[in-house]
Amino acid sequence: METEDDLCRNNWGGSSSSSNLREPPVCFTSQHKWEDASILDYEMGMEEEPSLQVFNQMKASTGQDNNGGQVNVDFLQGVRAQAWDPRTMLSNLSFMEEKIHELQDLVHLIVGRNGQLQGRQEQLVAQQQQQQQQLITIDLTSIIIQLISTAGSLLPSVKHNMSTAPGPFPGSALFPYPREANNLASQTLNNNNTCGVHDFDFPKPSVVEERESHVVEEHEMKDEDDVEEGENLPPGSYEILQLEKEEILAPHTHFCTICGKGFKRDANLRMHMRGHGDEYKTPAALAKPNKEALPGSVPMLIKRYSCPFPGCKRNKDHKKFQPLKTILCVKNHYKRTHCDKSFTCSRCHTKKFSVIADLKTHEKHCGKNKWLCSCGTTFSRKDKLFGHIALFQGHTPAIPLEETKPSAQRGSSSGGNSSNNNINTGMIGFNVGSATNANEEVAQPGFMDGKISFEESFSPLCFDTCNFRGFHEFPRPMFDDSESSFQMLISSACGFSPRNGGGGGGESVSNTSL
Amino acid sequence: MSPSPSILSVLSEDLLVRVYGFLDPPCRKTWRLASKEFHRVDSLSRTSIRILRVEFLPVLLSKYPNLSSLDLSVCPKLDDDVVLRLASNGAVSIQSLNLSRATALRARGLETLARLCHGLERVDVSHCWGFGDREAAALSVAAGLREVRMDKCLSLSDVGLARIVLGCSNLNKISLKWCMEISDLGIDLLCKKCKDLRSLDVSYLKITSDSIRSIALLPKLEILEMVNCPLIDDDGLEYLENGCPSLQEIDVTRCERVSLSGVVSIVRGHPDLQHLKASHCVSEVSRSFLHNIKALKHLKTLWIDGARVSDSSLLTLSSSCRSLTDIGVSKCEGVTDIGMTGLARNCLNLKTLNLACCGFVTDAAISAVARSCRNLETLKLESCHMITEKGLQSLGCYSKLLQELDLTDCYGVNDRGLEYISKCSNLLSLKLGLCTNISDKGIFHIGSKCSKLLELDLYRCGGFGDDGLAAISRGCKSLNRLIISYCGELTDAGVEQIRQLEHLSHLELRGLKNITGAGLAAVACGCKKLDYLDLKKCENIDDSGFWALAYFARNLRQINLCYCSVSDTALCMLMSNLSRVQDIDLVNLNRVTVEGSEFALRACCNRLKKLKLFAPLRFLLSSELLEMLHARGCRIRWD
Repeated sequence: METEDDLCRNNWGGSSSSSNLREPPVCFTSQHKWEDASILDYEMGMEEEPSLQVFNQMKASTGQDNNGGQVNVDFLQGVRAQAWDPRTMLSNLSFMEEKIHELQDLVHLIVGRNGQLQGRQEQLVAQQQQQQQQLITIDLTSIIIQLISTAGSLLPSVKHNMSTAPGPFPGSALFPYPREANNLASQTLNNNNTCGVHDFDFPKPSVVEERESHVVEEHEMKDEDDVEEGENLPPGSYEILQLEKEEILAPHTHFCTICGKGFKRDANLRMHMRGHGDEYKTPAALAKPNKEALPGSVPMLIKRYSCPFPGCKRNKDHKKFQPLKTILCVKNHYKRTHCDKSFTCSRCHTKKFSVIADLKTHEKHCGKNKWLCSCGTTFSRKDKLFGHIALFQGHTPAIPLEETKPSAQRGSSSGGNSSNNNINTGMIGFNVGSATNANEEVAQPGFMDGKISFEESFSPLCFDTCNFRGFHEFPRPMFDDSESSFQMLISSACGFSPRNGGGGGGESVSNTSL
Repeated sequence: MSPSPSILSVLSEDLLVRVYGFLDPPCRKTWRLASKEFHRVDSLSRTSIRILRVEFLPVLLSKYPNLSSLDLSVCPKLDDDVVLRLASNGAVSIQSLNLSRATALRARGLETLARLCHGLERVDVSHCWGFGDREAAALSVAAGLREVRMDKCLSLSDVGLARIVLGCSNLNKISLKWCMEISDLGIDLLCKKCKDLRSLDVSYLKITSDSIRSIALLPKLEILEMVNCPLIDDDGLEYLENGCPSLQEIDVTRCERVSLSGVVSIVRGHPDLQHLKASHCVSEVSRSFLHNIKALKHLKTLWIDGARVSDSSLLTLSSSCRSLTDIGVSKCEGVTDIGMTGLARNCLNLKTLNLACCGFVTDAAISAVARSCRNLETLKLESCHMITEKGLQSLGCYSKLLQELDLTDCYGVNDRGLEYISKCSNLLSLKLGLCTNISDKGIFHIGSKCSKLLELDLYRCGGFGDDGLAAISRGCKSLNRLIISYCGELTDAGVEQIRQLEHLSHLELRGLKNITGAGLAAVACGCKKLDYLDLKKCENIDDSGFWALAYFARNLRQINLCYCSVSDTALCMLMSNLSRVQDIDLVNLNRVTVEGSEFALRACCNRLKKLKLFAPLRFLLSSELLEMLHARGCRIRWD
């Protein structure tokens, strides 16, 4: 679809531009409408069957209107013949001229009526006014439709395309409806078409011109792409170039013909050339060599590039060959796919790249990927990591490397050593006091000092009689439910005799006076 | 005591083992003291053990070769070193390991343990605030894990959970309560990888309905608990309507955004649901809810606390769900005698009934329940002010199986009422807090008849005195928990009687101004198993009491000394001598200096897990002490 319309505009701009310029502004409106219609068509998409039906309907009803019928017949003939006839075109042009005059008259009429209306607004019955207005509107609509369709028939290639594929839907709907039959049919179109006429809100010529120039520009661009649709270029519609490996990997692509110095950019070469003599300083020599330097010259075949690596999908011999668009694409593709990754990230030292730009892009974000999988892949987002883990068997989220943890880590690591010591001492079970002391000694040298001072400073606090070590070495009950073995304690001091009397053990502290 | 050789020749070892199998745990102690043979049978047959002191762990492990369950949750000083030393003894055939509150245990120790116990299936690491991703990764080495409890592992994030999920794919029970870092991503991965999951607890998590969508895909899930998930709404629960085909139990208590329609969608999708706990999220029991709940023929538990329930809806409900055994209608508006009578007529199998704060329920309802529901075991009547001795009379007459009775703040309860209650001879737990109309006379009845009582709560019962307490101490020998806080009449004479309660492990003496050191000394001397002691605001206890405590209460694990007049020396003695102490509250101690606190804490810093201190001490205590405490896994709350 795109192509059709492009081509339409293309020819419009090309062949009938001179007549266009001479046309009164109204004609621009129609052009404008045409465009709108085609834009509308983009949005609506293509419906083959209905448009064909409309087409047939039109064929059937052509007899009713002479002028319109003539054009239609011509048009249809043109469609069938697929030929461009200058005589038909001339007659079409004269028809359009006539129609434009009609249109002018109508518009004058409306303008006159409006002036009157302002005078005696109140006297007129609103209904009548509306009816008349409606009639005029219908007339206007049909004339404009005819104009548009005729103008459209001026384009020879439109016929061609319409025969192969159904035309733009609204475009064909706008196509010659007989004036009488239009009454009903155009009701539906009113919304689209009449509003502009109602209000006489013609787009200003400047706007139209702007649009037109835009169209032309577009045409130029598209011209390059020829009948391309997206990147699905039909084979043969473009020129395939294949650079050699050396050429691709060469650091410089532009060389001075005099001294042989290489440059990455042609502009730099031209700057350099100035030093070789005045002849390189002329504006012509310094100007950017433009492909489309000559306007109106035959559009060049577009260039696409092939990768020299055999078997690569980007290689022209591949079954599903996908060409590369520019030389830069070729270079990046070749380096990324077929070369060693020689640039290593200076931050993570793991990621490698073959294109230096990729490295720079990575380095911008390196370190921000804090979500790490056991396979080494990093993610900037947690949900991406979890998606990855859910997908692959055996992958687990990695826990970031140890931050230096305070004493706990040190304590337990050195505790291993101390445990050996303890075992070597041959104690049965664990001597609680000494074992913990040993741990603390190793783990917390500073704390050990504290411990000493603690024991020392305890005596001033009237613990003279109390042997601390003695407490530590009390036999301890094993369980809740086991008979505890310290019935030995300060029975006299507290004045209680533990009921389950029995032999005590350990050192007595009964000398502690309370 | 030693059995004659003839007995042993008659009873082979097999028979001994079988006999041993019938014994209750308390009797087993007597058994193993009987003879060497019996002791051998004990050590061979014993499968589970709860270690109180880590020093004996290696000896005990070698003594009991067939242990399958090891509980280290109340063990102080359990750290990586201990575990590493254990590893040198070789592998252990433990299947179930309880490491709850083992805050000093870190990744290295856990990994060693996980490798050491090949057949490990159940692990509990709840309340280990230091348990984070690294620890989870270490634990995931135990690939055979089936049950993991990680309640309140505050540092655990999605990454850690993912490690466990990926390492132990056979998980069928996991609890993530209060693991506040866990998000939808972690839950999603859990549900994708552990398809065998049967029980899942995601209470208090900040997860959204996306998680519910993942959970709904679990084919075998039977129990889903999501108490107080503030971001889950009705749309999320709709996923459950067509998901989780095996669901039997769901708890959506206090989910702010869940309303009746969400609960209805769960009910609609699961006609086999057995337990529905929807307290404080259903505002009203509507007709549509009743209509849907009628389909649940197997419903056993229904909690709709806080909803507006009319008598008629209660009747409809009970007439359709006749197998209900547990009903919670606490704080429900509109519950009256008519509704309760109807309910009692329909639900004859009722075992648990929660009527807390149902102010309009009177004796008539209680009588009806007692008459009809003869299997009633638990009855909660907190703040039911209309209840008087008449209701309790029928309870005493008919509810012979009653085990748990909560009469907190029922000021209609008097001595006569207690006399009736005492006829429920199977009573295990009795809560009489704030019942000011009871005196020694009533307490005496309880003490004389409820000999099986394990728990007695007499919080702020100002009406009884020393004689009552003496009666309790004489009669309820198996008492485990005793709360006599703010019972102002009590003096040393009464408190001294507590020493007769050998099994007492939890004692609250808060605010007893009349007791002195002598009373505390008697308690400390008699109650060997004392594990929790609350002495807050017992201002008249002098150092002699604390000295005695230091010498006798060797099993004390948690102590509250706020507002006590303990001196520096006594505190130091306590802290250095109580070798199992793990949780201390030390706020507002007038006689203790900064140095005293420092020394006391240094003496016990390697076994503390939780500590409450006066806030200014944060800057007065030495930083190395605080660091050491932190490194050993102690959390300090500054007050």
